[in-house]
Amino acid sequence: MSTVAQLPNASTDAISTQNKVRRPLRPDRLALIGLALFWTFIAIAPFLFALTTSFKTQLDSIDGTVIPWLQYEPTLLNWQQEFGSGGAETFKTLRSSALISLGATVLATTLGTLSGYGLARFKYGIGNANIVSWFLSQRFLPPIATVIPFVLLFQQLRLIDTLPGMIIVNTTFTLPFAVLIMRDYFAEFPNELREAALVDGASEFTTFLRIALPLAAPALVAAAIICFAFSWNEYLFASVLTNRDWKPYPMMVAGTDSVRGIMFNFVSTRMIIAVALPVILSLLVQRFIVRGLTFGAVKG
Amino acid sequence: MKHNAKYFFLLPGVVWVLLFTLFPLIYSLYLSTTNFRMGREPQFVGFENYAEILGLDGEGGDEKAAQTAGFSAFIMVGSTILTIVLGTFIAWIFNHDLPFLKQMRAIITMPLFAAPVAVGFLGVVIFNETNGPINNILQGIGLGRVNWIIDPNPARWAILLTDVWQWTPFVFIVVLAAMQGIPDDLFESAKLDTKSSWVLFSRITLPMIAPALGTVLLLRLVETIKMLDIPTTLTRGGPGSVTQTYTFYIREVGLRGSFQLGDASALSYLVVIVAIIISSIYFWRMRARYE
Repeated sequence: MSTVAQLPNASTDAISTQNKVRRPLRPDRLALIGLALFWTFIAIAPFLFALTTSFKTQLDSIDGTVIPWLQYEPTLLNWQQEFGSGGAETFKTLRSSALISLGATVLATTLGTLSGYGLARFKYGIGNANIVSWFLSQRFLPPIATVIPFVLLFQQLRLIDTLPGMIIVNTTFTLPFAVLIMRDYFAEFPNELREAALVDGASEFTTFLRIALPLAAPALVAAAIICFAFSWNEYLFASVLTNRDWKPYPMMVAGTDSVRGIMFNFVSTRMIIAVALPVILSLLVQRFIVRGLTFGAVKG
Repeated sequence: MKHNAKYFFLLPGVVWVLLFTLFPLIYSLYLSTTNFRMGREPQFVGFENYAEILGLDGEGGDEKAAQTAGFSAFIMVGSTILTIVLGTFIAWIFNHDLPFLKQMRAIITMPLFAAPVAVGFLGVVIFNETNGPINNILQGIGLGRVNWIIDPNPARWAILLTDVWQWTPFVFIVVLAAMQGIPDDLFESAKLDTKSSWVLFSRITLPMIAPALGTVLLLRLVETIKMLDIPTTLTRGGPGSVTQTYTFYIREVGLRGSFQLGDASALSYLVVIVAIIISSIYFWRMRARYE
C-alpha cells in the first residue's frame, strides 16, 4: 500500500490530466468525448426514465414512451397520491428516515471526530494501525452476521421498532467512514498548531475544540453527508428491526409490491423520492468521496 | 493529565465498536453452536450446524445453501470483474483533457448514493419485459426481446448488470484519482519512444494504478458478498429461487418462517470467515499507512 500512500495528493477540484497540451488529432478527442458522454448518459438515464415514468398514468406507464407532452400527457397523479390522499404513511416514514439518519449522523460524526483526532495526534500502545483496522473491520463484516444477535439483544432491551434502536444500528455502520475521513484530515495539519496552543497553556480538549475542529469543518461536513446518505439507504436492519412505528422510507419502497402486479408509474415515484436526497447531497462531497469510500487507502 | 487526554479522544469510539460490533459477533458465534429457534431454549450442539451445512455428517449438506452460494459467487466474480474493467476504462477516458469533466464525473457518481432497494426497482422499470427501455433497444437493433424477470439466466444477468451499473462509478472515481496521481513527466519521457496509447497504458498507467486496483478489488469482493437489496426488489429471488443470494437465504432461514436462529448463525459465520480472509489481506496491505 505504500505506493498509494506516497502518491502526491492530486488537486482534487481541478482535475489534472496527463495531457495538458491539447492533442492535434481531432477525431481522437471527439471519440473520447463521445465515450465520456455515453457513460454519463448510462449513469443518469435510468433516473431520468424513472422520473418521466413518475408523471405517467398507469396506462401510459407501459407504453415505452419517454418525452412528456410530445409522446404522452404528463400527470401529477402519482405524486398527489404519494403525498396527498395516501400521504400520511409517506410523511411518517420519511420523518422516521430523517430522524434516524440525523441521529446516526450526529452520533457517528461525534464519535468519529474524537477517535479520528486521537488517531491522528497521539500514539497508542496497541499500534495506531491496529486500531484503524479494527474500526474498519466493521465495514468488512457481512451485516447479516450481526442482524440475528441484534434482534435478540433489541428484544431484551425493548429497542425493537424504536428511534434509539435504529440510531444505534446506523451509527455502528457509518462510524468507520467518519473515523477514517476525520483521521486523514486531521493528520494533514501540521502538529505545530496543536503544540503551540498547548505551550500557551490550553488543555488538549480546548486545543481540539478551538483549533483543530474549526479547521476540519469541510471534512466534518463530508463525513456527515456520507454517514447521512448511508443511513438513509439502509434496508436490511430496518426490515428486521422495525415494523410499524419507526419504519424508514426504504421499507415503504420495498413494500410497493402491489397485488395486481407492479405499477411502474407508482414505483418510479417512490424510487425518485427515495434516491433524491442522498444523490443531491453527494454532489457536495465530491472531494471526499474517493478517500471516504476506500477508507483512506486511495487519496482522491 | 496529558496521558489521560489521548484516551479521552479514542475511547468512546472503541467502546461503541466493542458493544455493537464485537459483542454481537461473539454472540452470533455462540448461537451458531446451538439449535436455537425463536421461542425455544437454545441447546448447545457443538459444530453440528456447520456439519449439516457442509455435508460433513454424510447427508449431502445444505443444497439450498450451496445453490445460493453459487449465485453469490456468480455476482462476486461477475460484478467485480465487470466493474473493474469498465470503471478503469472510463477512468482512462476521463484522464484526458475533456470539457465538462467535473460535471460529468459528478453525474457518474450519482448511482453510488442511491438506495440499493430503490435501485432494484429501477431495474424493474428498466428491464420491464413488455415495454422497458432495454427490451425496446434490443428490439430496435434486431436482437429481440428478453424475458429478464421470468427466465432464470436473464434474471441472473439483470441482477448482475444492475449491480454493475451501481458500482462501476466506485471503481471509476478511485482509479481516476490514482491515475491523476501519476506524475506527468513519466508520460512525457515515454512519449518520445512510443505514440501508442495501449503501450502507454500497459507500461506506465497500469503498473502505477495497480495498488489502487488491488484495494478496489478487495472492497468490491466484500461488498458483493453482502448483496441482498437488489434481488429483494428486482426479482424477489425468483424465478423460483435462482436469484436468491446467500445473504437472502440466511434471512429466509433465520428471520422468516421458523426462525432457525442457530442454523442461520452458522450459515452467516461461514461468510464471516470469507470476509475475514479478504479483510486480512486488505489490512495487511494498508498497515504501513497508519503506523
